[in-house]
Amino acid sequence: MPQRKMLGILLLGIFVFSVVASGCISQTSQSPTATTITKTETKVQTETKVQEQITLKVIGPWSGKELDAFMKVIEAFEAQHPNIKIEYKTYRAEDLATILPLQFESGDTPADVIFMWGWFIKKMGEKGHLMTFNDVINPDEYIPGVLDAVMSNGKIYGAPFTAAAKPGFWYRKSFFKKYGLKPPQTWDEFVSLLAKIKEIPGIKAPIVSGDSVGWPLSDVTEHFILTFGGADLQLKLIKGDVKFEDPQVRDIFANKLVPLLKAGYFSEPVEWTSAVTAWWKGDYALYFMGTWITGMVDDPNDLGMFSLPGCKAMVLAPDYLMVPKYTAHPKEAMELAKFLATEGQRVHVGTNSGKLATWKKVTLDDYWPPMRDVAKIVSNVQAVPDLDDSVGGEWQKTFWDQLKLLWVQPDRLDDVLKTLDEKFPKK
Amino acid sequence: MIPFVIYPVFKTIYLSFFLNDKFVGLENYKHVLLSPDIINVERFPTKSPPWGSLVNNAIFILIHLPITLFLGLGLALLLRKEEVKGSSIIKSIIFLGMVIPMIVGGLITRFLFEQGAGVVPSIFGALGIKSLDITWTAYPQTALFAVILGSIWIWTGFSMLMYSAGLASIPRDYYEAALIDGASRFQIFRHVTWPLLKPITTVVVAMTLLWDLKIFDVVYVATGGGPGGASMVLALQMWDYFARELNYNYAAVVAVLLTALTLVPATWLLKRRE
Repeated sequence: MPQRKMLGILLLGIFVFSVVASGCISQTSQSPTATTITKTETKVQTETKVQEQITLKVIGPWSGKELDAFMKVIEAFEAQHPNIKIEYKTYRAEDLATILPLQFESGDTPADVIFMWGWFIKKMGEKGHLMTFNDVINPDEYIPGVLDAVMSNGKIYGAPFTAAAKPGFWYRKSFFKKYGLKPPQTWDEFVSLLAKIKEIPGIKAPIVSGDSVGWPLSDVTEHFILTFGGADLQLKLIKGDVKFEDPQVRDIFANKLVPLLKAGYFSEPVEWTSAVTAWWKGDYALYFMGTWITGMVDDPNDLGMFSLPGCKAMVLAPDYLMVPKYTAHPKEAMELAKFLATEGQRVHVGTNSGKLATWKKVTLDDYWPPMRDVAKIVSNVQAVPDLDDSVGGEWQKTFWDQLKLLWVQPDRLDDVLKTLDEKFPKK
Repeated sequence: MIPFVIYPVFKTIYLSFFLNDKFVGLENYKHVLLSPDIINVERFPTKSPPWGSLVNNAIFILIHLPITLFLGLGLALLLRKEEVKGSSIIKSIIFLGMVIPMIVGGLITRFLFEQGAGVVPSIFGALGIKSLDITWTAYPQTALFAVILGSIWIWTGFSMLMYSAGLASIPRDYYEAALIDGASRFQIFRHVTWPLLKPITTVVVAMTLLWDLKIFDVVYVATGGGPGGASMVLALQMWDYFARELNYNYAAVVAVLLTALTLVPATWLLKRRE
């Protein structure tokens, strides 16, 4: 019995020792049991650290050099968000217009973030297909009026990215120097400059007219409206408060634009990108284009630009983006949208995109050097929305198409103005 | 058939009677069919284009159909294998227009008629006809013809191929018998070849009519329907209502009109085949 008692005490002692020892040793992670626990903890920690990889699809209009500039913004976002990969697809707004309404109606979307016309975003937002940005961006941080195109009943359906300005006629400084030409200070000087250019051997026309997409002709027309009618007239035309057949508007066309067309100072419509090449080569002296042209030429330092004398307002056309309600990753998509509408703009204007920031926190120092002068000029004039982009719909295409007609048959001005009024959306 | 043909057809007809979800009866038809977009009564036929998309489709058919038909037949006769060496290669080149995507066809058409780049204005320039040494797609009086001529190049391959197959199926004995009877080449064509090619002609006419009515991509790329709607066609008009105005109801009206118009040659073709 005493031996059995002794054995029992010994076994109990060993058990107690084992328990105490295991408790102590587990904290120093030396025993096999302790290792198992550590492994479990590591697993838990790994799971919380490695987040799920998400791919967001972005659709925008850019390709070539413009896309290279935009991809810098995407790279900056991906660097900040290692768990998000961006897949970019190029679609023109014209093509998206056929795809999106049907997809949205069926509760689907081809991408998580989509760049599109402002009027289209507003329309789709009103139909309930889009997420709102009211809690994501602060309207006070943007240049005045830039959100108007994408707002309805106080809801912000689109976020603004960078904008293009359409400031005036671009020329090559070297070309002007070679032929002793100077930017005009008055309307008469402008007309005599065109006459002088027309006499230069090898010149097809003083001004090249961009075509195939419609908007280059509408841009130059709007510049005439802004110069001779002012920002107020442009805004009234957008709202439909003033008709195109109104004497004030007709005068601008009849007395300023049409005489230049009749005199052959504008070329017949030429595909707009090949027009850049022809203009740079010297077939034409002037090209009315947006600021993105700085990124399309071989030597931006040789670029000069002047507005029509007396112009105090210019069109600022932002690229708007939207997040469809049907995205599979609403949180991440909104995060990307917010980035594009804010810090992404800082990155974009630093590239050769030729764009201007709509977010007021971007400074002149953030700009690509050749764009700083343009940014300064734009900040000193009144910015107004693009006429055809604001009205949108079938009228936008009609406007482009009727201007093409006017360019080759200026005598049909009254037909053109009548059609523009007839096709204007009814209030 | 039900989900892909019958339902969409009836849904389109149904949509054409509504506007903003309200039943409006024939109002949409009245608005669309009486608009200058379809027939521009103010300008057609005395003034220069635009004349309206329905008129443009009709002009398209009047020019495109006979030219492709007879050009295809002529080429098929000229390039009969036993008479011309390398005829297969030449036929393949002509047929190329048919196998390229229509968007590319539209682009080629656009550049064919562009001053400085295209061969057509250059030819007229070389001939001293300055009025046609222009970018055809930029002017209302030439834009539609540029698209039609481009379409002739695209579609002739089909006509030629059909007639080549038809000619190959005519037994040689018929020609030999006609020659023994002393028939001239023209008489052989008139009394032997042409009557035997009638089934082929029916198919070519019907298919070309259908193609001319539904023409979209070539016009979309080459001119976009412009300038000033001078080359607008019904299918593009439908697309404009749908994609630009986001007005599905007006688009449905044009779709119904197009369907009705295409039913005519389709029914005719089916009856002839019976």
